[in-house]
Amino acid sequence: MDMTFQEKSAWGLLIGIGLVSFFYFPAAFDIADSAPHPSALIGISIAGVIALIVIEATYHAVIAGSSGSDGSMDERDAMIDMRSERNSGYVLAVGLFWLVGHIVATHSLAETEPVGALTVAVWILFVLTASEVAKLIFQIWDYRAEA
Amino acid sequence: MGKTRVRNNIRKLRFEHGEMTQQQLAEHVGVTRQTIVAIEKEKYSPSLEAAFLIADAFAEPLENVFSFER
Repeated sequence: MDMTFQEKSAWGLLIGIGLVSFFYFPAAFDIADSAPHPSALIGISIAGVIALIVIEATYHAVIAGSSGSDGSMDERDAMIDMRSERNSGYVLAVGLFWLVGHIVATHSLAETEPVGALTVAVWILFVLTASEVAKLIFQIWDYRAEA
Repeated sequence: MGKTRVRNNIRKLRFEHGEMTQQQLAEHVGVTRQTIVAIEKEKYSPSLEAAFLIADAFAEPLENVFSFER
């Protein structure tokens, strides 16, 4: 496929975030549900961030070296970035509204256990990650549609 | 994403200007080669500034390079 640096970067971020999230979120939700103290999440969060930085730094060094690009955006890259940013905003809004509804519902219903603060924190991070993933998917979709 | 309503003769003009490559045109305009490909295929409408720079690369007035389909 004939791709710009920005499109290759989007693919790398999508795969990197997807890979780290695949391992991070199930473990983080498990910890948040079983441990009441935020310190329980520190180890796995640091590991997740380091893994993401290593994956992305290595990948971007490789694609920058092979394409000779300085990573700057041209007008089409900027347009695609703006469109995908706008669309990912909808994903973020839907996710946060769902989360607020979920918290209110679990606190209102007597037979369900209220969501813990740590679990809410992991959900917020999950929604933010989902909107970033959506942004990258919208970006790649636009690049492929115009290729 | 379908075609835009902005038509162009870039491919023909490149051929007429010593088989100018898409990369050469991209460097003149200051965009990536893939953006020139998208413009040439009429899948992306360039900014007015980029359109003028493309016309400048061929030393042609804008209306000889681009047209609008109503």
